[in-house]
Amino acid sequence: MNLNEAQRRIRWAIFIILAGTAVLLTILDRTGNMDEALNFIRDPLTVITKWTSARTDTVADALEGPRNLQAARDEIAQLQARVDALERENEELREVQGEYQQLLDLFNRTRQEPTFTRLTASVIGRDTNPSLRSIIIDKGSEDGIVVGMPVEGARGLVGQVFRTTAHSAQVVLVTDNASSIPARLGTSRATGLLRGGGLGGVVSIDWIDLKHEIAVGEVVMTSGLGGKFPQDIVIGRVIEVDRREAELFQRAIVQPAVAFDSLEIVFVITSFRPVDTEIFSSPPGG
Amino acid sequence: MGSSIYLAVPVMILLAVVQTAVLPRFPILGLIPQLPFLVALSRGLLRGVNEGIVWAFIGGICLDLFSVGPVGATALAFMFSIVAVIWIENAMPANRFFIPIIMAALATLIYLFVYFLLLRLLNYPSNWQLLTDLLPTALLHGALVLPVYWIMSFLEQRFRPRPVKI
Repeated sequence: MNLNEAQRRIRWAIFIILAGTAVLLTILDRTGNMDEALNFIRDPLTVITKWTSARTDTVADALEGPRNLQAARDEIAQLQARVDALERENEELREVQGEYQQLLDLFNRTRQEPTFTRLTASVIGRDTNPSLRSIIIDKGSEDGIVVGMPVEGARGLVGQVFRTTAHSAQVVLVTDNASSIPARLGTSRATGLLRGGGLGGVVSIDWIDLKHEIAVGEVVMTSGLGGKFPQDIVIGRVIEVDRREAELFQRAIVQPAVAFDSLEIVFVITSFRPVDTEIFSSPPGG
Repeated sequence: MGSSIYLAVPVMILLAVVQTAVLPRFPILGLIPQLPFLVALSRGLLRGVNEGIVWAFIGGICLDLFSVGPVGATALAFMFSIVAVIWIENAMPANRFFIPIIMAALATLIYLFVYFLLLRLLNYPSNWQLLTDLLPTALLHGALVLPVYWIMSFLEQRFRPRPVKI
């Protein structure tokens, strides 16, 4: 066996061992046998991520500042006003106003639905894979978060808790491919299944009965069917209707109410426990 | 390769944190590049397939810790793509400009395709439309690999000079 042959064998051995390890990890993860070990690793990472996220927000806000300042400078130059002091003051006021608006939105949302107990959480990370749509929040099982709890923002439904560690949780967004939420339209009262389109895809409601006349602009809300989400949480608005008379059902394209890319604060609805309806799908006596 | 593993673990953990907490705040044309993937690929192109595989595995596992996807799937997809492109690269003329660009775009497509297949295999809902939506990511990686490759090449020469043959 010459040197090249030996190197090739070593290369294949490394690949097979690591690929085998990855497959084993995948199987263990999918069967839930690795949750504790993963949580043990994820928890300290959450602390680092939270710290990094907070610093990133500061930097990002500082970088966004000059753009606003530039716009303000142009305006001030046109008006022949005093430049520096006003710009600074203007910028500070804008920031305060932005924070105020966000808090007002959150407050209004809580006031609209006082029946639910909510836990406020900050978004500290986003899914690392471009194929998947999820966020990481800074509250976990020790804060009372349980897998399956619905998560909403100031403007509407965000998603559902998928996995928790002691101090963080991963939330699958309504825009993810795996997302499937029973929905109802506000005016026509038609029901269907809202599906996320993943990256670049559209969020749509499938399986809407043709007897319903759906209008563009109708509000889409959770229907509560299936017991996984509470009723009447706003999801978005209908922006397009795909209706073909030859088919049994129609489809509506939905614009989510939440701007997922700029999401910073969310509510976890802790008083709602998803209902396990699997028992009803089993045949009697089965 | 031994010391490379000890270096790969902290580097990839750091990059995974950056990937989840920093890069989403600064998208490029609405896209978020996968820095750990570019680093693992550059490492493979610079130091050979063995190191590429190890860095891809560690990078993939680190990324999976922050993803709702199955742990290990990204590592598998990374490894397959990097092995494939380095195998192809060996049959191509050496070039420090075009080769990394082509290899990064190609590796990204292979990685995303393998990951997509794994998701389907594991009954994770996904549609074929997703693949075409990910094409811009491959182009972005093609554009961004050069700075990553050159920085890593510089660090490689700075901290690990090649032995001189007399």
